[in-house]
Amino acid sequence: MPRTMAHWWFVGPALFLMVAIFLLPIGIAGALSFSDYSLGSAGASWVGFENYEKLLTSSTYEKMFGATFRYVFVVVPLSVGLGLGAALLISATKSFADLYKTIYFLPVMAALIAMAIVWEFAFHPTIGIVNATLERGCGTVLEGWGWYAAGCADGFPLWLTDRDYAIWVVAFIGVWQGFGFNMVLYLAGLTSVPRELYQAAEMDGAKSGWDRFRLVTWPMLGPTTVFVVTISFIRSFQVFDTVEAFYPQGGGPSKSVYVIMFAIYEKAIQQNLMGIGAALTVVFLAFVMVLTLAQRRLVERKVHYT
Amino acid sequence: MSDLSLPVASAPSVPTFRFSVAETVKHVVLILGALIVLLPFYVMISYSLKSPAEIIQGTGGFFGAQEAFRDEYCMKLGKAAADCMVTPVIYNYTTAFEKAPLLRYLFNGVVVTATIFLLQVAVALPCSYALAKLRFWGREAVFGLVLFCLLIPVHAIALPLYIGLAKLGLTNTYAALVIPWTISVFGIFLMRQFFMTVPDDLIDAARMDGMSEFSIIWNVMLPTAIPALLAFAIFSVVAHWNDYFWPRIVITGNRDLFTPPLGLREFKGDVDGDNFGPMMATATIIVAPLIVAFLIAQRRFIEGITLSGMK
Repeated sequence: MPRTMAHWWFVGPALFLMVAIFLLPIGIAGALSFSDYSLGSAGASWVGFENYEKLLTSSTYEKMFGATFRYVFVVVPLSVGLGLGAALLISATKSFADLYKTIYFLPVMAALIAMAIVWEFAFHPTIGIVNATLERGCGTVLEGWGWYAAGCADGFPLWLTDRDYAIWVVAFIGVWQGFGFNMVLYLAGLTSVPRELYQAAEMDGAKSGWDRFRLVTWPMLGPTTVFVVTISFIRSFQVFDTVEAFYPQGGGPSKSVYVIMFAIYEKAIQQNLMGIGAALTVVFLAFVMVLTLAQRRLVERKVHYT
Repeated sequence: MSDLSLPVASAPSVPTFRFSVAETVKHVVLILGALIVLLPFYVMISYSLKSPAEIIQGTGGFFGAQEAFRDEYCMKLGKAAADCMVTPVIYNYTTAFEKAPLLRYLFNGVVVTATIFLLQVAVALPCSYALAKLRFWGREAVFGLVLFCLLIPVHAIALPLYIGLAKLGLTNTYAALVIPWTISVFGIFLMRQFFMTVPDDLIDAARMDGMSEFSIIWNVMLPTAIPALLAFAIFSVVAHWNDYFWPRIVITGNRDLFTPPLGLREFKGDVDGDNFGPMMATATIIVAPLIVAFLIAQRRFIEGITLSGMK
């Protein structure tokens, strides 16, 4: 054991930065959320719970919570499900497994802001590749589908500028970007499932592939799933790049894509309403911390889904 | 050739190319998925090669016809029509660099990501060594703080950080881009877990040789931690090269400090009909470095990015 004070030189900088970059800002956000502070003004007055009341009563924030939860509850199940599906399919194919893995992982590496701009192009109502492809299907059996026939007759949706579609398109891009990440986590999880378990299950009468998945794979992937779900939640709560790229002002058609990170950016940075921004920050932090704590509890108890 | 005389023995090792319905269905599903995943990359690269007319009309296939077209901006400058004929691919990529200081953006991106990574290591390495290998009063409390900070995504506390930096007069500086990321609690945690596996004998031997604690960190621990550091480097560089939210907040207007994502966003803001091609060329240039590095060292990248799975 060293009798020097060297360890404080080692830990000191990190300790200082943790306090300055994590603890202090959380305290500041907490305090400001009870004020009407704005940058550049001389002082701020105490407004009590007014900011939080606004969050609960104003229709703007009702839309914000609606958009955020709609996004999160589409992106999390789909990106987890598709990640698992892709991992199972890839680990079960005999050829090209690495090629599929590489392709599905590409969106994770690409700057989302760049890909958002490309997707905006692809979804462009007149020159976009999506509607151009859909139009080619007109006059075929696809017209038996009512939605498709309507599209052929009156034009396909405007996608990103259509209030009925905007949030789903943004969520689709979120799934597109995120499921490859979940896939590699699941692939890593799958390699740690012992082969003998499958043989044992088969001896016990698990004949079909579904039985083997239900009785062996899924329970063994429990810890992976807990982690994948948590990280997908945290990542999708933080969605910002796509929303800002598509709707630099206002959060989309009738605020249908007004997600919480964009609201913080708009209120605090663009409009200098620090009090309300701080209240949003506190709410956001609470969500994220509760989720992560729940995940840690689940993992520590070694809960396996059965 | 002797094995030809033993067909029975070699039969099991010959791959069977029998048609299998299940296998075919799997591949059909996977290929469909791959096509959707690749679609925007296809659009991006294809448009970066085509002329404005081909983009608007959706003609020209993937590469475009590469027929020279007249650059209207060049005409406006009053030059002769013959001098203003440009090949689409050359026009798109040169315009990407001429219309905006793209080289400057790329340089900023490299400076910021490299500085962040180096500072993260300089702060995290000694701390994680102390947490793993030294016993001192308050160690558990410091580690508890690390675990607590792991709960907090830095983007979530962007607002108070922004206020702090604004009060210090640091917005629109390189410092603002770097400071919030100087500490990676994840890096500390990761490195600590790694150092726990390093045998104490190695450190004791170094102490016997009269090495100071300081030189033990840099001359003994650092070399052993290279694999973990490499994975962490990939994790850190990918996150910060692609980050858009934080630069958007602290850099307002000063183009000299734009990182590549901000530069691209700015380009999109003042784009007109003729500049879809150059914009896609810019996007391609910004996305390409990480994608190429990923294709070269896939295994390491996947390990590095999924490191967070070790939490």
